[in-house]
Amino acid sequence: MSNQKDIAKKIRREALKKNWRLFRRSKLGMIGLYIVIFFLFLSILQPILFITGVWNKGTYDPVVGYSEQFQEFLVVECPKEYPTEKYKDRSDCPGRTEVNIRTLFYSDAQVGETIIQNLQPAPPSRKHILGTDSLGRDVFSQIMEGSQVAFVLGLLSATLGVGISTILGTIAAFFGGKIDAYLMRQSDLILMLPTLPLLFIISAFAELQVWHLAVVLGTIGGLGGSVITIKSQALQVKVKPFVDSARITGGSRMNILFSHVLPNVAPLALLFMVFSVTGAIASESVLSFLGLLNIDMSWGLMIYLAQVEGFIFSGMKFWWLILPAGLSVTFLTGGFYLVGRGLDEVFNPRLRDR
Amino acid sequence: MGKYVFKRIYQLIIVFFLFLVTSYVLFDSIPGNAFQNLLLNPELPPEAYEQVIKLYGLDKPLSERVILYIGNFFQGDFGYSYKHYPRTPIELIAERLPRTLMLFAMVNIVAFYTGFLIGKILAWRRGSKSETWITVTSVFSYTIFYPWFALMMLWFFGYKLDWLPIGKFLYPEKWYDAPYDSDVIFVSMIKFTAVVSVLQILVYIFTRNIESLNLRRNARFAGFIVLTIASLFYWNSGDLAIQKPYAMDIAYHMILPIFTVTVVAFAGTALLTRTTMMEVMKDDFILTARAKGLSQRRIRDRHAARNALLPVVTSFIFTIVTIIDGSVLTETIFSWPGMGQLILQAVLEEDIPVAMASFSFIGIFALIAHFIADISYAYLDPRIRIQSQG
Repeated sequence: MSNQKDIAKKIRREALKKNWRLFRRSKLGMIGLYIVIFFLFLSILQPILFITGVWNKGTYDPVVGYSEQFQEFLVVECPKEYPTEKYKDRSDCPGRTEVNIRTLFYSDAQVGETIIQNLQPAPPSRKHILGTDSLGRDVFSQIMEGSQVAFVLGLLSATLGVGISTILGTIAAFFGGKIDAYLMRQSDLILMLPTLPLLFIISAFAELQVWHLAVVLGTIGGLGGSVITIKSQALQVKVKPFVDSARITGGSRMNILFSHVLPNVAPLALLFMVFSVTGAIASESVLSFLGLLNIDMSWGLMIYLAQVEGFIFSGMKFWWLILPAGLSVTFLTGGFYLVGRGLDEVFNPRLRDR
Repeated sequence: MGKYVFKRIYQLIIVFFLFLVTSYVLFDSIPGNAFQNLLLNPELPPEAYEQVIKLYGLDKPLSERVILYIGNFFQGDFGYSYKHYPRTPIELIAERLPRTLMLFAMVNIVAFYTGFLIGKILAWRRGSKSETWITVTSVFSYTIFYPWFALMMLWFFGYKLDWLPIGKFLYPEKWYDAPYDSDVIFVSMIKFTAVVSVLQILVYIFTRNIESLNLRRNARFAGFIVLTIASLFYWNSGDLAIQKPYAMDIAYHMILPIFTVTVVAFAGTALLTRTTMMEVMKDDFILTARAKGLSQRRIRDRHAARNALLPVVTSFIFTIVTIIDGSVLTETIFSWPGMGQLILQAVLEEDIPVAMASFSFIGIFALIAHFIADISYAYLDPRIRIQSQG
């Protein structure tokens, strides 16, 4: 008996090795994997830095941290007409080490004098790799916190959603009849509701945190269109000869469902999971970008803050507030998408190169 | 088959009924109501608020209102908008819907065409270095964080370069003494675009069977030139010559949203085409075509790409269903007064009649599309047909 188990284990290990070899051959999948590993590394690095004491919580905390950056400023008066000799257009004045006298309410300094003042948002320096935001919080630490949120939310909602849709889709395909009709109409109903307005409504009467949002997104995704796709895959598995022979040899319905149909639907489900991580992260970013969530820090929130404080239309002058967060969302979702494409090549022999 | 269709329609009506109830309950569960800001006005007595609530029937219990609403709905009475009082939801939708459809129809046509072209070439050049990098780039343009990207585009083209307007539908200062309503001009623009697209498609269909690929391309190009010249004449003739500057103003405001959404949307089609085309290229008839000694381009365009078209077109049809849903974000960022903004405002201000009417509009749209897809799948795949008859 134990011998049989060993053989089964060995076969499984061989299959895993073979799939890994196939995955490694796909360039796209590997690029995606590197991106995902990079962000995973970032999200693990932050707690390590805090625990080992390299980073002080008071200075580097992404939400309540504060860092003083004093600098000398030259008091100037901005001209009314542009261009002048010194400034080309309105956005050049005041320059980076200058302060406009009209915005100086708390000091009696005159034009031409220098004053020492707190510089926020501060540009990147050795202490803060990506600078600080307008409240003096470290942007790099915020990016790390944001990637933790993205991973927790994406993986949680994708697991939940794919779990629901795999079980329901397989059941619909396997039992057919009334159950099938009910499940299909249910997913029609979910698909009919427009997603973004629906999320607005939900966020209006519930204070959404990362957890709740993951559950909501997972449930909506899991009951919606993916049930239909999984069902059509399960229908194809159901008519395969090995299911018939299992039935003839006396397998119970549950046995056939769980040990023959479900494992053959699993690859497609895994693929769906990877793609729905992309969707979940994007939805979270959009909702926090619109300021509808009750989350302390996330990438969407960083862009929301940069927008409401008016930094987005200041162009590249404050690039560290705009670019890192937006690029992080883009790259992590893109990374998951590429991993999905790579897995697609592993599971679908017709997509392979030879 | 007839029995199956009948059964599906019967289920469809039940689903739609449930959809109406669900949406009404959802709207009602938002705290507060549309008239609460009357309470903030110190000059109004509290009785005025009660009066208004009673007038609109919001003091009745939820169950009674749902039944009343659905009863009226099936009699074709959608009520009046709470916020734009004398206007009905149907009037509002009739005003807003063309704007959204125009914008996104253009986006989808451009995105579908370029996406299919790029995906085709990507699949054909599989394994080369350029293919990898173009694919990775289009994946990132597909997954780019959309609101952020749209804002960056607005900043770059609208503010930094100052080439294009920052959002909005038109420049109001240009329209002070306009002889026409903006909707009139927009409708004539839509008519023009529709006719031109139909003619362009006709040119494609008629040139489809020309054997020589070069001749076909030249014929299509000539057709395009003729259409352009004809449309120039059309816009300079009679009544339309007066409308032209105003139409140009609206078109000028459409450039940036169309470009931005296309950059995001084309990548989806390109990636899907790439995958399906790779599958098709494994088929035996491609090998046969190669063995026959056909040219590479002919195999790519005539044998592989045409067979890869089917799933891409299916997904294109499903994209059309999600247009209104997807327009919410775009229209908010570009301040484009279309359906997306209407829905968003109706939801946030709890203008229940307008929100219900637009939700059910989307719902009917989606239901019909899914119904057609289901029926055609059942027609094509006997397994599904037998399953559903149970």
